[in-house]
Amino acid sequence: MSPKGRVSLRGIRKEFGRFVALDDIDLDIEPVEFFALLGPSGSGKTTTLRLVAGLDTPDEGTLTVDGVDVTFAPPGERDVAMVFQNYALYPHMTVRDNIAFPLKMAKAPASSIDELVREAAAKVRIDHLLHRRPGQLSGGQQQRCALARAIVRKPKLFLLDEPLSNLDAQLRLETRVELKKLQRNLNVTAIYVTHDQEEAMTLADRMAIFLEGTIKQIGTPAEVFDHPNCVEVAAFIGSPPMNIIPAALNGRTLTIEGHSVALHRDPGHPPGPVIVGIRPGSLRIDPEGIPTQLYLQENMGETWLLNLKLGEMIVKMRVAHSERSAEGETVPISFAPGAIHLFDAETGLRVQVN
Amino acid sequence: MNVYRHARLLRTIVLMIVTGALLLVWVLPLIWAFVVSLKSEREVLAYPPSVVFEPTWSNYVDALFGSFSIVDSLLTSTIVATATTVLTIALAVPAAYAFARLRLPAKRPLGFYTLATQMVPPVGLVIPYFLILNRLSWLDTYHGMVIVYLTFSLPFAIWLMVSYMEDIPWEMEEAAFLDRASRLQTLWHIVIPQVRGGIAVTVIFVFLNAWNEFLFAVQLGGNTVRPVTVAMYNFVSVEQTLWAKLSAAALVAMLPVVIIGIAAQRQIVKGLTVGAVKGGARK
Repeated sequence: MSPKGRVSLRGIRKEFGRFVALDDIDLDIEPVEFFALLGPSGSGKTTTLRLVAGLDTPDEGTLTVDGVDVTFAPPGERDVAMVFQNYALYPHMTVRDNIAFPLKMAKAPASSIDELVREAAAKVRIDHLLHRRPGQLSGGQQQRCALARAIVRKPKLFLLDEPLSNLDAQLRLETRVELKKLQRNLNVTAIYVTHDQEEAMTLADRMAIFLEGTIKQIGTPAEVFDHPNCVEVAAFIGSPPMNIIPAALNGRTLTIEGHSVALHRDPGHPPGPVIVGIRPGSLRIDPEGIPTQLYLQENMGETWLLNLKLGEMIVKMRVAHSERSAEGETVPISFAPGAIHLFDAETGLRVQVN
Repeated sequence: MNVYRHARLLRTIVLMIVTGALLLVWVLPLIWAFVVSLKSEREVLAYPPSVVFEPTWSNYVDALFGSFSIVDSLLTSTIVATATTVLTIALAVPAAYAFARLRLPAKRPLGFYTLATQMVPPVGLVIPYFLILNRLSWLDTYHGMVIVYLTFSLPFAIWLMVSYMEDIPWEMEEAAFLDRASRLQTLWHIVIPQVRGGIAVTVIFVFLNAWNEFLFAVQLGGNTVRPVTVAMYNFVSVEQTLWAKLSAAALVAMLPVVIIGIAAQRQIVKGLTVGAVKGGARK
């Protein structure tokens, strides 16, 4: 049996009043893939998830699951399970009844319900809490209960709407690992909405970057991180994200704030303004480099983050503990030509350099 | 000496005195009625009122089993009030759900007119209702009386229930839809258990209003449908008012409402605690 859970969105558009939440969304999610929808608030990622769930319907476009058009199918007929951001547990039911609810609604034989509930609860290690009510659980336990309710009837699609955002930092890291394990064991397609890029990078097989209602890039975390295809994605991915610096290009020569840098090879871009993207970790201190002034330094634990004034801009640079200096001092910086990303100043699209 | 502790003690004492005084305003008539119900009719009219007297239960015996027995009327009131309450809840819960959740055309004006019916003074409705029931030959019938009561209780109950329904997080219902529950199943399994407190409050109000209603009962009822409020009026005549028996009857008539109140109160408390979910599961 070929794995199930292939999702296709074609030309999806969704408006709320005059606000265009999604515009011309094309997306293919492969079976058994862990797919993240990543973007800031209001970028349309949750709306996309709700369309897949059937909780909303698009104004234009089609949505198919395993080749079947489900654009307007009610949520109950899609064989999808969802974990909500606030878990949406039923407060008047015990954990057991919460997990059993989807089985009861699907009219599963009563004899099998108890076993399936135990099995699902054991998978997320809450089988000792079955008699409790959601109000008597900790945040992490509530989250597990929501997970158990979602996996109990073995859905075709597993939808997660920021499921870790209500957990504290420590628990979030632990649960992240378990979530990934769980998805692999269940062998089910998972669509995961998050605004936390670290979550998306670590969990996802592939991801889509949402910005202002459109998808800017689809790819593996490595592809998106190493080769952002436009300046918006470059400015969003990474913590802190890339420095975005206006520059001028002439053949192989790049001019930043009056300082010239030679590129490896000619990017083949017509001479004129471009945008340079460079990660804070790719900058280095170099006596021959472009002079900047240290504005502020932040302790990040293992490294320090220097905020450097380059002209009117602030450029962020990650350095080792030993490399920090005093605020107000001049810090000359440079970068390996291979470490930079180049974008067209007009279109914002990537210019291939290396 | 802890100044703060003294201040707190003082505050508690003042609060208790004020609460006690307020409570007295409500309880005094009840105590008075109880005392009167234990007196003979002659002692009731004695002036100055006698403080020391020989208590007698004979007024209760008369009120229940005498020539003006209220037992049949108690049964009538029970039927009318129960039927009104059951029908009101059965209709108001789905209606309130529709108002709270569905995208209905003209929801706003509908909501307004539902409540607007409450703004008409009841006296203005007695004659129209009389004429309507008369034409339908529904005067002095149980269904006639219950339907008239429904016209008052239903809008009120819907209005009250809508606010309770709106408090339930929408995601919870969406989760149920994803779990293949239909709208009705969601209403039954998810929404209604969580608005039990609201339903209990509504039951108390509706039952109380139907039970205590006098104006319409006296106009639209008769020998078949004579609720206890009307029956008690028999103790008031042109020649005399039988205060002791009237008090006894009134206290007996109060009992069912008190019992319903206590029973529903437990549900109200339950309804409140069910919502106490920590950790954001019920935001």
